[in-house]
Amino acid sequence: MKDLIQAPTQPYQHCDACFARVTDDDTYCAGCGYPLKGSENEQKKFIDHRNKNDVNLPKFKKKVARAGNTLYYLSAVFILYSAISFFTSANDPYILAIVIPYLILAILFLILGSFSKQKPLACFISGLCLYVIVQVLIFINDPEVIDTGIIIKIVIIGFLVKGIKSAVEVERIKNENNIA
Amino acid sequence: MINDEISPLEKKTCIRCEASINLTAKFCSNCGIVQSDQLTNHSGNKWALIKQTALFYLIYLEVCVVSKFVNYFHTFSWLLLINAVLAITAIAFFCLDWKQNKTLLIWRNFSWPKLCAYLAIAMLASMFVQYSVDWLDITIYSQQQEYYANLKGNIFGEFLLVFFVAVVPAIFEELAFRGYLLQAFLKITDIKQAIYVSAFLFAIIHMSLISLFWLIPFALFISYVRVKENTLWYGVFIHFSFNLTACLFMLS
Repeated sequence: MKDLIQAPTQPYQHCDACFARVTDDDTYCAGCGYPLKGSENEQKKFIDHRNKNDVNLPKFKKKVARAGNTLYYLSAVFILYSAISFFTSANDPYILAIVIPYLILAILFLILGSFSKQKPLACFISGLCLYVIVQVLIFINDPEVIDTGIIIKIVIIGFLVKGIKSAVEVERIKNENNIA
Repeated sequence: MINDEISPLEKKTCIRCEASINLTAKFCSNCGIVQSDQLTNHSGNKWALIKQTALFYLIYLEVCVVSKFVNYFHTFSWLLLINAVLAITAIAFFCLDWKQNKTLLIWRNFSWPKLCAYLAIAMLASMFVQYSVDWLDITIYSQQQEYYANLKGNIFGEFLLVFFVAVVPAIFEELAFRGYLLQAFLKITDIKQAIYVSAFLFAIIHMSLISLFWLIPFALFISYVRVKENTLWYGVFIHFSFNLTACLFMLS
């Protein structure tokens, strides 16, 4: 790539770091902030910082993907809940009142999961808050169920929180690298 | 802050060294400082800001859960106290960034036709919600109805109901969710995501899954109006008109 950019036939100059057009008057690149007239050390520091971001980016993206999968998993869990409650209480006259909330939750998490690729931050924050509120409501309904599957509950919340953190980092790195 | 289309030939001044640079430049070509607008300026402490909003939301959630599900608190004096706590929380968090948030309290470009249009939309929406809720056969304001039963002996009962259902939530929920929360998310992320998140969080804190079908569009609409008009007041009046209509249904 670099050879191509620095070919002498180009009528204007390109930034070495992001390939944006620059002029001789510029001290810094207007596209990425690369110190065009800086010392070699400064330029190296800039590239190092960017490379560090490049290394971290896949790590953060992985965490974002994992949080997205958590939303799908929650959707599946609530579908399962609604199916179980449908078959175990088939004679209950209020069966719809039990099944419909679980179905709504399943649909909500499914929607959040499917949008988590485009709008990760919004979906993870929404999903986490919804999950916490659902847990609070379940606790109020029956305080004794709080410790069933507590490890899974903590893991789910942990995945979602890490997803939020990573989504912020991904957005920051994309802004810095001028991808977005 | 919604950017209109910009031509690359236009110039702006750098936010630090005041050199003249291209309007589309992300960094100053003279000093290298990043040229972000005011709202995305806090890139370093976004995570801290998210934690702050989480604290706010947990406080709000806690108070709502307690007031809704613990029977002990279903008296008139507790109603007053809980409303006061929520109001103080909203004001306190809103004032954390008073310098920026105070611009939301200014009502620029006030126009009667616009206000009337918004009020009418809210009223129609509220009527639609009331009829569809009747049809779905669920009570959405069951808690307030309980308060109303408490207030019935009082000669001012109806006024108190209007006050606690229409006036107080309109002002303080707007301050909390469209004032503090939306403003905080605008600093954390882009406009669209900020609107979605604040609307969704507002909708789910009502803790009624069935009501989400009207709460989410309602919250999205108010958030959108708040961002578009850059003032809280249209939202306050929409919310007031919506709740007042619901209130009148309850009284009739």
